[in-house]
Amino acid sequence: MALEILKLNRGVEGLFIKNSRFNTTLISYNFYLPLNKDTVAANALLPFILTSCSKKYPDFSRLNLKLAKLYGARLNATAEKYGDYQLLKMTISVINDKFSFEDESLVKNASKLLLDLIFEPNTENGAFFSEDLEREKRKAIEHIKGEISEKRVFAKKRLIEEMYKDEVYGLPKCGTVEDVEAITGGSLYNTWKNMLETAFVRVQVVGKTVPEGFFEEVSERFANIKRKNVTNCTESTKTNAIKNPNTVVDRMDVAQGKLCLGFSSELYGNDSVALPLMVMTDIFGGGPYSRLFANVREKMSLCYYCSASSIRQKGLITVESGVETENCEKAQKEILNQLQIVKKGKFTDFEFESSIKSITDSLNSYNDSQNSIDLWYAIKINNKKLYSPEDIAKKVAKITRDDVIAAAKGVKLHTVYKLLPKEASN
Amino acid sequence: MKKEFFENEIGEAYVKATLDNGLKIFILEKPQYKSAYALFGTKYGSIDTIFNVNGKETAVPEGIAHFLEHKLFESEDGDAFTKFAKTGAYANAFTSFDKTCYLFSCSDRFYENLDILLSFVQSPYFTEATVKKEQGIIGQEIRMYDDSPAWRVMFNMLMAMYHNHPVRIDIAGTVESIAKIDYKLLFDCYNTFYNPSNMFICIAGNVDADTCLEQIERGIKPSKPHEIMRIKPKEPYEVVTNYTEQSLEVAQPMFCFGFKQEVDETPLTVKEKIIIAMLLNIISGDASPLYKELINKGLINDEFESEHFCGDGYSALIFEGESSDPKAVAKEIKNEIGRLKRDGIDKKLFSAIRASMYGSAIRMFNNVESIAMSLTDCAMNDTSLFDELKYLRSITLEDVSRKLKCFDTENTVLSVINPK
Repeated sequence: MALEILKLNRGVEGLFIKNSRFNTTLISYNFYLPLNKDTVAANALLPFILTSCSKKYPDFSRLNLKLAKLYGARLNATAEKYGDYQLLKMTISVINDKFSFEDESLVKNASKLLLDLIFEPNTENGAFFSEDLEREKRKAIEHIKGEISEKRVFAKKRLIEEMYKDEVYGLPKCGTVEDVEAITGGSLYNTWKNMLETAFVRVQVVGKTVPEGFFEEVSERFANIKRKNVTNCTESTKTNAIKNPNTVVDRMDVAQGKLCLGFSSELYGNDSVALPLMVMTDIFGGGPYSRLFANVREKMSLCYYCSASSIRQKGLITVESGVETENCEKAQKEILNQLQIVKKGKFTDFEFESSIKSITDSLNSYNDSQNSIDLWYAIKINNKKLYSPEDIAKKVAKITRDDVIAAAKGVKLHTVYKLLPKEASN
Repeated sequence: MKKEFFENEIGEAYVKATLDNGLKIFILEKPQYKSAYALFGTKYGSIDTIFNVNGKETAVPEGIAHFLEHKLFESEDGDAFTKFAKTGAYANAFTSFDKTCYLFSCSDRFYENLDILLSFVQSPYFTEATVKKEQGIIGQEIRMYDDSPAWRVMFNMLMAMYHNHPVRIDIAGTVESIAKIDYKLLFDCYNTFYNPSNMFICIAGNVDADTCLEQIERGIKPSKPHEIMRIKPKEPYEVVTNYTEQSLEVAQPMFCFGFKQEVDETPLTVKEKIIIAMLLNIISGDASPLYKELINKGLINDEFESEHFCGDGYSALIFEGESSDPKAVAKEIKNEIGRLKRDGIDKKLFSAIRASMYGSAIRMFNNVESIAMSLTDCAMNDTSLFDELKYLRSITLEDVSRKLKCFDTENTVLSVINPK
């Protein structure tokens, strides 16, 4: 069944993704803004402060009690980088009305609650209250500082920072501690206004039905806002190939070293264009049939994990591994050797076919997860056609070995990042 | 084969079957779904370090259940990953304190995948060379966990809480302990614990239960049930020490604050577990007065959570998170329990939390993986998948208050990871 995008307002779209298999209904608001050094931290703080309190629920504890009463409705906020854009996402999910003990419209109440949180925050005289602001700032700062705890995640974040030093994509997704510290109640109020006025917005419902009058109400709320300079989510810039790859080493008091490699790819862009890159990355370092798993882990016994992933809208491939310091060079050499094998088309038919099957099998499972299906469509914002996961699965099935080899040819090493124990010498 | 059917008021239904050799099978059909999830498990985890079968007592190196999990993927005719790669299924396995499970999920060719699962779990193949290779890989897995503060803070707490119970040892063992593993020991463990009478299969999703049952009955190799005696050293009631700390590369301290509980001979019932889960929510859930206080004082952030950690011979209530002052958090938690004992539980909070847990129990049926995992709990504890929804309707404030009264707030461990 083809999905239909509703144009609710200038740059505001509504989408109903009908799916009757779930016991819950999910409503999601997706705000897209350009990534920018000056706004990244304040933008990222918004989804969190907006989902912590509102005019009607000025106390976060009362809001949490309300959610519990709505049979444990789940309110969720994230701020992620999506190519050269920032995606601020707020969702609520609630069990369907038929499960309520009283004759209560849970879905309608939950959808109204989230709408109020976004449009009627707890502010006064053009500023957020300092109590709320300081609480959310503290949590954001602790979150940013806490990124060093999980070394695998930290190492990848450092790789991206190094690869895109002079580009917006290199910005940390929640800004820096200094950026967060500089936010005031008044400046955040303006950030909020700016989001409502200029973000490209996609509002989605995943479930059996749309709550009565829902999209009309969203449309009305936006009609009261002066929509201007709406973010035009065009394609992100491609990762530049560089002649001499960089090597960056950080030292920390850790037991195991982390090795991260970043590559640029000639092929890039949205789903349907860059699909061969997805297959190529998977053959290189996806499932257990991949070159990296079979060789670096199983044959050479160098690591527990060694895997590749791609960000297609940036033309970026990353490889991550955890290795002993003395094996770092050996692992790096072998990773690059495996890439050469893929480039020369010397991967086996088994590896190629396994990859295609694994990707299509997983795409065909998407509709069984409410969150996955919401995210799938939420990031389809400038595509001419709204491809379903099954549509893409069919396209993947048609990809040939030559498509994969062609995609691999444009892949070049860009940066090697190592997080090594302090005492080690290389 | 003995078959039982269960259904509940929200329209979910499943079948439980027991084969003559003792294998238990649980299947919940979700015809409107595209995918399915299947899991083949054994009641064998890191805590089963000493056991007795047919009068012979065996003590094995720490981490061997997990090691066996890695090795079972290899069979004489190639490894299981290669076979799953041919169908496109996602395959994996995990080892916990009390179980080892092998699983796959797929949206196509389910019955082929089920055959692969049945076959590889029943075809052990270990050689000296393959054991050696795995020591390198698992060695790196252990080293990875050495750097994980979230993992360390938990195990440091367990070591400070338990004198003798093997729940205090790391699931993967140590680089030294796994060096002692050889293929003969692996076979000993396999033959003891991978007997169908100690095993279960749980399936949820787009499958036909009868077809699955027939296929499983055909695919299970003949075997005789045997009795396994798990030998657990005596565990004193008191903790080893109230405080433990370690320094790692973290930005601010991480903590795990645990209340060691008395363990009876008879395991906790589903109802008792729900009451404890409710109690945790009442003490420190995000709608509780304590949570509000801790957030407002700047003592916790969104990482804060609580859990009831329990199994064969162990039970603890755990509060964990990040804090600039873990000792202050621990003190506040103790004070709040004292206050609740004195002043009683707020009725409104109780009914909101009951509604919330009811909603979560319904939400669980959204996802085939969650269902299969819940069926695993049923297999491990001999309970019904629908007990939770049933009890959530009937549990009263008095039930929870009674439990609160017997809560010992002194038998505790605070484990802290400090920044370097």
